[in-house]
Amino acid sequence: MRLEADDALDRVKGALGERVTDAHLNHGQVDVTVEPANLVEVLTILRDDIALGCRFFTFLSAVDRSTFNFDDDNEQGGLEVLVHLYSPEKIWHVNLHVPLDFDTPVCPSITGVFKGAEWHERETAEMFGIHFTDHPNLVTLYLSEDFEGHPMLKSFKLPARSYVKDWPGAKDPDEAAAGGR
Amino acid sequence: MGAIRGAGSAGPPETRGAGSAGPQRVMDPELQNLQDSSAFASEVSEGRLVTEEMLLNVGPQHPATHGVFRLLATIDGERIVRAEPVVGYMHRGYEKLVEQRDYRQITNLISRMDWLSGINNELPLALALEELMEIEVPPRAQYLRVALAEMNRILNHLMFFQSFSAELGAITPTFYAFREREDIQYAMESVTGGRMHFGYFRPGGLKEDVPKGFIAMALAAVRKVIQRLPDYEDLLTGNEIFKQRTINVGVLDKEVAYSYGVSGPIGRGSSIDMDVRRDEPYLVYDQFDFEVCNGTHGDCFDRFWVLLHEVVESAKIVEQALAGLPPGPIMGKVPRVVEAPKGEVYVRTENPLGELGFYLVSDGGRRPYRIKIRTPSFSNVSALPHALQNTLVADMIAILGSFFFVLGDVDR
Repeated sequence: MRLEADDALDRVKGALGERVTDAHLNHGQVDVTVEPANLVEVLTILRDDIALGCRFFTFLSAVDRSTFNFDDDNEQGGLEVLVHLYSPEKIWHVNLHVPLDFDTPVCPSITGVFKGAEWHERETAEMFGIHFTDHPNLVTLYLSEDFEGHPMLKSFKLPARSYVKDWPGAKDPDEAAAGGR
Repeated sequence: MGAIRGAGSAGPPETRGAGSAGPQRVMDPELQNLQDSSAFASEVSEGRLVTEEMLLNVGPQHPATHGVFRLLATIDGERIVRAEPVVGYMHRGYEKLVEQRDYRQITNLISRMDWLSGINNELPLALALEELMEIEVPPRAQYLRVALAEMNRILNHLMFFQSFSAELGAITPTFYAFREREDIQYAMESVTGGRMHFGYFRPGGLKEDVPKGFIAMALAAVRKVIQRLPDYEDLLTGNEIFKQRTINVGVLDKEVAYSYGVSGPIGRGSSIDMDVRRDEPYLVYDQFDFEVCNGTHGDCFDRFWVLLHEVVESAKIVEQALAGLPPGPIMGKVPRVVEAPKGEVYVRTENPLGELGFYLVSDGGRRPYRIKIRTPSFSNVSALPHALQNTLVADMIAILGSFFFVLGDVDR
């Protein structure tokens, strides 16, 4: 039984109430903002509520918005954890945005709700420097253990793109049209 | 040195020649008791006979791992107690690399994620950009995209048919699978010039139109597949050895599959009835007749059955798409410099191995601000320990093979 996006939003608002700070639609999918303390409870409701039925764990990741080009110059982006769930029976999506403190990012582990989040959290931890509390085995997944820094943060520059000389030709069609090579 | 070897091979004289009149050695009566099978069984079950766990390292270089993949298996005798996949030997950091490149460059980069399904990888990025930039894609481009994506799916699944049966010791399917693959590969090569990485989909349409004669060539190739595939199925599914090695082996529970996000043929083998092409049709999939193949038990045989039957369904889609190919342009109205407006969108497609999703965050520039790439193999492989637990070492290869992952897709 397919659930339309508007109905899904109403049901999410009804079921989660005060536990989420914001809920709206974005390109046909429900976007909610959750404080880290409520994350596990919200995910449990989304999974177990039969009217919602988000049993399929799609992914967990993070976004570093510290260099995001906001319309309002005064707005400053931070770090957020992003969780995506999907309901295979009702066919609707929910994106959970979990804003974290940028300097000491800590987020509760969701491996108690979705076991499959284990690898996703390990990857996010090493790439963004986020600590997931109560994670059963928070070791590095891709990087070597002596790797310094967190590569997916915007402050981490790729050496190949920051220290070497600029590419001599035109990078964009516009530059080429303006007389570049 | 020579004297020692000589003594070892001859053995002490009193242990041989039991029938002779010479001195004999008789087995310890305690050991003789053990030979009684019921006594031996009770020794093990009551825990008086202690067995020792052993750590078996498989890989990173192993023919059954399709790339560089390492499996740390803790085994107790012939039984796998625990298995822990170790990945990351091919990590190339695509999510960071794409932030430094403009959208045209990314199309060619992400084609390399899952090297068996190059053209399918390019699709979600094009769809995400079209969604954000509100580009209308002409019908001819949509039909051709469907046809090429499904042809690539056939290539991928036939490769599975080849590798899985080869791992189980059957050689003949290799030659049949590659014969069919070559015809389809040749048709795709005539379109794009590439055999693995095509770089053919653009935001808004296609790079160029298909050459003359492509449609006839592709139709002939997929019709051959439809006609011959039942024979290939009989080759293996009727085989007693094949059945013994796959039925009820490596069962992946449905609930476990949900919580790990196992999708695609592996998920459908575990009776997760989910297919993006049917549930949320992108491109023009809603205009074609095809069935979603579902398994019932979640064992190796079901995964094999699903993957093999999807070949025919894909071939049917290609046939319909090419037979009803509309004329017209192959590129929508796209600005010369591709700049996605501010916003974020999650777009997913049905890749041959499962759900491939792109979470694109754009801040209005020529380069994406962030792309989270959700690859199917990553989630599928993370559920491997559950399928491997309490199986026999001899079944490990069948289970690894039936999960059919591509390491480039796991590590990104």
